[in-house]
Amino acid sequence: MVNLLQELNRETAGVIERVRSSLVEIRNSGGGVGSAVIWHSNGLLITNAHVIQRKGLEVRFRDGRILPARVLGYDDENDIAALGVEGHDLPVAEIGDSRELRPGQCVFALGNPWGVIGSVTAGIVVGTDGAGSNMRADDREWIVVDLQLRPGNSGGPLVDVGGRLVGINTMISGPEVGLAVPTHVVQGFLARLGESRMKQRDQADHNWLA
Amino acid sequence: MTEILSSLSNGLAGAVDAASPAVVRVEARPRLAGSGIVWNPEGIIVTAQHIIEREDNLKVGLPDGRTVPAVLVGADQATDLAVLRAEAKDLTPAGWAEAANTRVGHLVLALGRPGRGVQATLGIVSALGEGWRTPAGGNVDRYLQTDVVMYPGFSGGPLVDVEGEALGLNTSAFRGVSLTIPLTTLRRVVDMILTFGRVRRGYGGVATQPVRLPEALAQQVGQETGLLVVSVEASSPADSAGVLLGDILVGLEGKPLRSLDELLASLSDDRIGVAMPLTIVRGGQARELTLTIGERS
Repeated sequence: MVNLLQELNRETAGVIERVRSSLVEIRNSGGGVGSAVIWHSNGLLITNAHVIQRKGLEVRFRDGRILPARVLGYDDENDIAALGVEGHDLPVAEIGDSRELRPGQCVFALGNPWGVIGSVTAGIVVGTDGAGSNMRADDREWIVVDLQLRPGNSGGPLVDVGGRLVGINTMISGPEVGLAVPTHVVQGFLARLGESRMKQRDQADHNWLA
Repeated sequence: MTEILSSLSNGLAGAVDAASPAVVRVEARPRLAGSGIVWNPEGIIVTAQHIIEREDNLKVGLPDGRTVPAVLVGADQATDLAVLRAEAKDLTPAGWAEAANTRVGHLVLALGRPGRGVQATLGIVSALGEGWRTPAGGNVDRYLQTDVVMYPGFSGGPLVDVEGEALGLNTSAFRGVSLTIPLTTLRRVVDMILTFGRVRRGYGGVATQPVRLPEALAQQVGQETGLLVVSVEASSPADSAGVLLGDILVGLEGKPLRSLDELLASLSDDRIGVAMPLTIVRGGQARELTLTIGERS
């Protein structure tokens, strides 16, 4: 008989290995360390807004490359930010559907807690209506997970058992509960960001035409 | 590709799905709601006593999203259990697991409904053991400890197995660890509350402290310790039996009283009204009184 637990270990390690390539390390001039996810192969990264508060942002990739990053936009309320680096063919995370998450499902959080690069913790989805729960007294959308996030986990990927990105981890929570921004909230943020940048460009074009 | 991992994940989410119709929200204290378990379709809810901080304006949040009024039928602080009657019909009661199948190391989920949706945390069974007594003297038929994290509002919710069948009711009220009150205890306490409106508990009316007996006395009565009476309540069963301050209780019904636990064990509800021989030591001499166990009000 196949040893299920050994097979479980093998599968889990495989998922983590695949996802890890889309995890990067964010450093700032103050020596702080956070995490980010490669969202698009052309150099679009997603992290937490609270990770990019200091200047001098650098991104360290899994292959050791270090590139300067610029802030494309951020949303303090949802604690998400978009960064850009000069890159192409970067290994992206497969985007999952965070609206399909159910309590009890297994998830993995990847990040660089306390500067330990590429570490992973496993847990389950506690609930998907952060609103109305006792975890946080606000009506934002959160994925609540029963795993411990640490400084340095912020901005890292939360993935499902298929390795698909379902959230961006934040650590602004209690010691034994993790919160993540659902990917559909990130998608909404990116859509708004795209529109406002388009407008800015229209404005710029208009000025140029005048 | 990740067949087993996916099965595990879907299996756990499935267990939550299966159990969630019997998990309700209990609104009975300021701000922080707790959880409860549907006991029967007629609206009886069992929950944790410590989350009930008021007796009026109780509400129960149902899985279908409705919030209905509820009344407190009764509560038992000693086992941290309370029974509510919600104004609702056709509820889905919890399905219960066969207790004997639970083993240390099994995966378990704690469920709660502090908000609208059901919430879950995962852990394993840490310890199983014989019956135990809570600090307030409540009898719990089986020791079931897990490492599930009890988030705020999870007290009163069920511990479920991987099939979604309930193993008991979770409480964070005792010992600072996650303990589950098993079905047999729930059944006993709920039945008693539904019948009498309360849990009957035997009562003697003495405060005691364990003391070591002098060697000669220890040999005479055949035990090394007894219970020194430090106060006797007026008109209590002990007072009526003639127990005096300074007496040392050493036996009841022919069984030794060596520790407070042994005294508490003899005060179970089925002993109420029963007259039994009480062996004491007074002035260095063993003697016998007759104690009729009363009911704690």
